[in-house]
Amino acid sequence: MPPAIRVGIDTGGTFTDVVAVDERTGRLVTTKTPSTPADPAQGFMTGLHRILDRIGAGADDVEAISHGTTVATNRLLEGKIDDLGFITTEGYEHILEIARQSVPDGYGNSYFWVKPPRIVPADRVRTVGGRLAFDGSEIRPFDEDDAVAAARFFRDRGISAIGVCFLHAYADPRHEQRMRDVLAREHPSASVSISSQVLREYREYERSVTTLVDAAVKPAIATYVRGIRDRLAGVTSGESVAFYVMKSNGGVLSADEVVDQPISTVLSGPAAGALGAAVIADAAGFDRVLTLDGGGTSTDVTVVLDGKPALTTEGSVGAYPSKIPMIDVVTVGSGGGSIAWISPERTLKVGPRSAGADPGPMCYGTGGREPTVTDAHVLLGRLPPGLLGGAITLDVAAVARIFDDLQAEAGAVLAREGFDTAQQRFVRTADLRYVGQAFEVRVDVPAGPLTPAATNAVAAAFHDEHRTLYGYDFRNDQRQPVEWVNLRVTGVGPIRRPEIAEIAPGGGAEASSLRPVYFDAWTDTAVFDRAALGAGDVVPGPAVIEEFGSTLPLYPGFQAVVDRFGNLIITRGPA
Amino acid sequence: MVRDHPIETMRPGDVYFHNDVYLSEGGIGHLPDLCVTAPVFHTERDGAAPRVVAFVQAFGHHDDIGGSVPGSMPSRATSVFEEGLMVPPIKLWDQGVPNEAALTIMTRNSRTPESLAADLDAECAACVMGARRMAELFDRYGRETVEACFEAIIERTTQTFRREVIAKIPPGRYVWEDYAEHDGVDPPRLHTQRIAVTRTDDDAAPPDLIIDFAGTSPQARGPINHSGDHADGAFLKKWLAPILRNLADTPERMAELDVNEGVVPLIEMRFPPPGTLLTPEFPAPTNARTFVILRLLGVLAGALAKAVDGRMPADQETIRYTGVYGHDADGRRYLMREVLGGGSGGRYYADGEDTVHVVPDSRNLPTEFSESRFPFVVERLGLAVDSGGPGLFRGGLGYHKHIRMLRDAHFMSIADRSILSCWGVRGGRAGRPFSVTIDPGGPNERHVDALADAEPVAAGETIRIRTTGGGGWGDPLQRPYDAVLRDLRWGKVSIEGARADYGVVATGPPDDPVIDQAASAALRAHVASRRGDEPFFDRGPGYPRLAQGRGVPDVDWL
Repeated sequence: MPPAIRVGIDTGGTFTDVVAVDERTGRLVTTKTPSTPADPAQGFMTGLHRILDRIGAGADDVEAISHGTTVATNRLLEGKIDDLGFITTEGYEHILEIARQSVPDGYGNSYFWVKPPRIVPADRVRTVGGRLAFDGSEIRPFDEDDAVAAARFFRDRGISAIGVCFLHAYADPRHEQRMRDVLAREHPSASVSISSQVLREYREYERSVTTLVDAAVKPAIATYVRGIRDRLAGVTSGESVAFYVMKSNGGVLSADEVVDQPISTVLSGPAAGALGAAVIADAAGFDRVLTLDGGGTSTDVTVVLDGKPALTTEGSVGAYPSKIPMIDVVTVGSGGGSIAWISPERTLKVGPRSAGADPGPMCYGTGGREPTVTDAHVLLGRLPPGLLGGAITLDVAAVARIFDDLQAEAGAVLAREGFDTAQQRFVRTADLRYVGQAFEVRVDVPAGPLTPAATNAVAAAFHDEHRTLYGYDFRNDQRQPVEWVNLRVTGVGPIRRPEIAEIAPGGGAEASSLRPVYFDAWTDTAVFDRAALGAGDVVPGPAVIEEFGSTLPLYPGFQAVVDRFGNLIITRGPA
Repeated sequence: MVRDHPIETMRPGDVYFHNDVYLSEGGIGHLPDLCVTAPVFHTERDGAAPRVVAFVQAFGHHDDIGGSVPGSMPSRATSVFEEGLMVPPIKLWDQGVPNEAALTIMTRNSRTPESLAADLDAECAACVMGARRMAELFDRYGRETVEACFEAIIERTTQTFRREVIAKIPPGRYVWEDYAEHDGVDPPRLHTQRIAVTRTDDDAAPPDLIIDFAGTSPQARGPINHSGDHADGAFLKKWLAPILRNLADTPERMAELDVNEGVVPLIEMRFPPPGTLLTPEFPAPTNARTFVILRLLGVLAGALAKAVDGRMPADQETIRYTGVYGHDADGRRYLMREVLGGGSGGRYYADGEDTVHVVPDSRNLPTEFSESRFPFVVERLGLAVDSGGPGLFRGGLGYHKHIRMLRDAHFMSIADRSILSCWGVRGGRAGRPFSVTIDPGGPNERHVDALADAEPVAAGETIRIRTTGGGGWGDPLQRPYDAVLRDLRWGKVSIEGARADYGVVATGPPDDPVIDQAASAALRAHVASRRGDEPFFDRGPGYPRLAQGRGVPDVDWL
């Protein structure tokens, strides 16, 4: 029988969560282990060994490993910034200093606001002559001498991670490609990211920063991914286990591809959580869901509509804007380890400071001296004391051509990932706006030829979405034509989604113990072991439902019903 | 709004509108600011008819509302009638149905009717959505709870400002003044804005601060007036209170302090009689009112700086507008106008920041956006070297923006601080002022006034805009060599600037400058030895020019 264990590993700020599924039986086990921020690969391997012990399999039985992480890459990012250089168009050497001139939050904050440090300090920025117009035509030719001088400047200073962003490179990449060639010749050890490859969209500041984040994480991610691959090779006897890294938009990439487009993975941890929650909620019969992924340091929230988590291009990586498509995860600095404090107004505040994994909440007894959310729940009895375990004339032919080109590009990547033509699927989207607007709304573009009916359908979808988002649209207003700004093709190589196993019917929920718990008053409260519950069992609140790695306080007036997949469906009052 | 449309006449779905400065009693400051108001209705649980429990209001500065120049900001206006279409408080939507007649009149009077229609729709939709969500809050928690929360938020602001902000000011009376330099009509001169701020002795009884504007200049003939003396200054108090936050302990804490109605009881405002810059009489023009209303932030900051040994930020310019307009390659009329920020002032804890703007989240235009829409090439968007006011903490830098026109066009600018500078404090020096040059280095090189409605620019000519640097804080001779070296390497200070402004002798290429510390120490000692008594503020070389040779105004001495 061939090996058939698939493993998922999510490295968070506090814990590394691990899940394994046996494809033959559908059996699923989970575990968690403390993260090891100094060397995330260590926690990764510890988690792998622990989960294999739990499922009773060996490393050779593992078919594939998928890995999602945010914190690890953020840490890498923090450490790598010193070694970063930036090359841009003549006249724009201060683009990072200027940014978008905007001061966050309130009117008048400009008087006291202190700008955070820029991703590259101004003395590591070089400019190169040559200029394109917005349509990609050449105003001035690329200045080879400037390019060589820039390459040598960085080479001589040992700066080897370099981002390149030239004006209007989204319209035509040729100047950036020549810059890349010059760098390859003059400074061959440099790791280079060019904006036309990282993010082919207008807005030079955001594209520059996105490109620089890519350049910053590229060497470290390559080292990290190769390190894990080598360690995996060391524990398997035959050929190496397939190793995938989650992308921020919910897809996966093989380790080889990650090295070429690292920025697409940097927010993959929360994306994986949202995607998993969407799959489970969909199976349980809910198609409009808010997912809430509560961790030790923060809580990630996502909106899921029709089984699909919302995507955004307005995200950020750490302090830096990143326009790469990613699942729209809103992260709130509030988790189990969030520290409670009293504000100058004498009000109780929670977070965003967290006790994290080290020292952890006071109740861990590992040196934490400030009260956390977890401590409050322990004090209230909810947690057990011992924890853890339009109408404008659209050049349809041009649009169709661009879509075809993009599809060919995506197809080539999928082919490299081992998906033959028959398996490849493509999803087309376009960013539209009303002429005069400066921001776009993304809508799907159906497959097939771009007939007038098809483009009208896209415009109609845009009007709908605009109304949903902003409360109005200009559907029948001839004065407000619709403009197509960005075209995107997502190549999908379908990977098998694990079957969600059903659980056995229950025989009525039975409490495992009683303990006093505070809800609105101290009450002797039934405590249930989630693993002992079966399908159809009903638990009335107040109650506490415990499992490995999580605890659910069920408030008075609510009840939990166990569905056939083992999900707990909580509703107010008896159903 | 309620004066003209009593609350009992309001119905769910109504939306109200105005942009009339005088008939709204200063509720809005100039005509391009179109103000939309949506009442929030709530039905009590006893089933009585829904009643108004709150309002949601927004104003947005729109492209063009008519008047004598594109953009509706005529710098030569001598009355409000030249500034565009005035709409007194009216009902724009009646129970969800837009008043098409009113909208048609407004769009017909605008040079950018499509933008006006769309932007106004967006503004109304935002208010209606806000009103709906606010109503949901009332439904969910009940009127008493929500109103109690409103009260608690306001009361908390009062207490926080008293405890963390006003307590920092020693009791006493502090007087300072600053000036607008030009009203667009009369030749440049000092238009005085004067504040005497009194911190009262009695901690228990309001008001804690008395702000008296006596000594403010007469109403200007041009459009730099601000109608501020309505409602006992309640609006103006909230416009000015944000600057008080600089007295809080840390910049992080300053950012946490909300300004709302809670500041009103803390401050008493005393206005001069009608007919001044701050108390203009109808139909005085007001389109460039920021030269007064936002300049007053700095006047108040300066007065308070005298009270707290300078622990307030040095000066920054607030709002200015620059742009070009004409017809594009397809013959369509266009207007490109942006609010380019400048450097903020040095602070006792940090340098000023480069190219920031007082309005939160207001952004510059990406070159890749504007070149795709307008017929020009932005050849340079950089920092103006040496523009930041020298100081122990340097002022932030202004922009250098070079726009090369591809077609004939007109340039417009509404800017102050082109003669006077952003002031430095406590030994800090003034920043460099705003300037515009067309065709620099070319056969038709010319300087353009900062108040320009329609300066012709030929295709192929470049417009070079330099915006203001912030004022410096503290003595520049005490700025550490490392900080000056970093500024040299970052292109923020030139070799010449380092010598003249900081007494620092440096040599070498821009990539790799080297400071001669011995020569610098000698130069600094020499400069210091030649100084006499110095005033607490530095206004730069423009002040004597406008003050008929008078040196330093009395209020600048401690």
